[in-house]
Amino acid sequence: MSSASPALQQQVTLIELVDRVLNKGVTLTGDITLSVAGVDLVYVGLRLLLASVSTLERLDGESP
Amino acid sequence: MKTTDALYVYGVVPKGTSPDIFANVGAEVELVEGGELAAIASRVPLAEFGEEALEANLKDPAWLEQKVNEHNAILAACVGVTTVLPFRFAAVYRDDDQVRRMLSERPELVDTLARLEGAVELGVKALLDPEALRARLAHARGLDPEVGSGRAYMMWKQLERELDEEVRSFAASCAEASHERLAAAAVDACVNPAQHPTVAGGEMLLNGAYLVRSDGDGEFRAALRQLQARYADDGVTYELTGPWPPYNFVGEEEAA
Repeated sequence: MSSASPALQQQVTLIELVDRVLNKGVTLTGDITLSVAGVDLVYVGLRLLLASVSTLERLDGESP
Repeated sequence: MKTTDALYVYGVVPKGTSPDIFANVGAEVELVEGGELAAIASRVPLAEFGEEALEANLKDPAWLEQKVNEHNAILAACVGVTTVLPFRFAAVYRDDDQVRRMLSERPELVDTLARLEGAVELGVKALLDPEALRARLAHARGLDPEVGSGRAYMMWKQLERELDEEVRSFAASCAEASHERLAAAAVDACVNPAQHPTVAGGEMLLNGAYLVRSDGDGEFRAALRQLQARYADDGVTYELTGPWPPYNFVGEEEAA
């Protein structure tokens, strides 16, 4: 596990960030972003991670 | 021109915090003071953070990843320097007055900030290599996975099921013991859902967050080293992240 590729390491960091920045913290919706209250940021985070994983898989596929 | 801008708030710090701590974050950050608090804010264009623009941008992975990184980098600049109360992503206000109004309407933010004083968050993930554990359990029973005859095969299938059960039982007890030990060395603790094996790099037994005093995390690190030594032979590895701003301890959700 210590031999994780740099790309994978970056991946772990993004999960940590999404877990915190999008899923945690004080939930205060600014007066501008009121309508975004309807958008589920947890879902937005999952979508970002999926996009990131598929990018990773594509890169893996290209490597010899 | 000014009306095209809005204020993105990352979190709050005590009033009187020096804006110099954000000198190296690579973004223009200002502090909007109100009452005993100061909001950490950046001017952002409505073309990027207005309702419609934001909804579209949230679907753009490159944009979102950059903004999520920036959000954390700015809050992380406070870690070890001053107490910070992180806000969730995308709290955007029309102007300074709206930010000050928010600060005055949420007096509990002052209490939460006081509770978090001098504390940081550490993340600990425990990962299990189930094959390593199975091999060890099988070895302990004097089993040889290479046996090939029909009868041996049937016996092996039966033992496989028993090993599965042992692995499951070990996973549950190791997760509980690990969290208990770490929580005992922390001010506060919470358990988050395990991440998927594809992204976690193994079977995640524990995804914990721990609030510790930034000047006294020695006891916590010692507890982690103990766990590492105790469970290494069972195929468990621990990963420590942080110190983080205390995202998991803002008092929004009670521990389950």
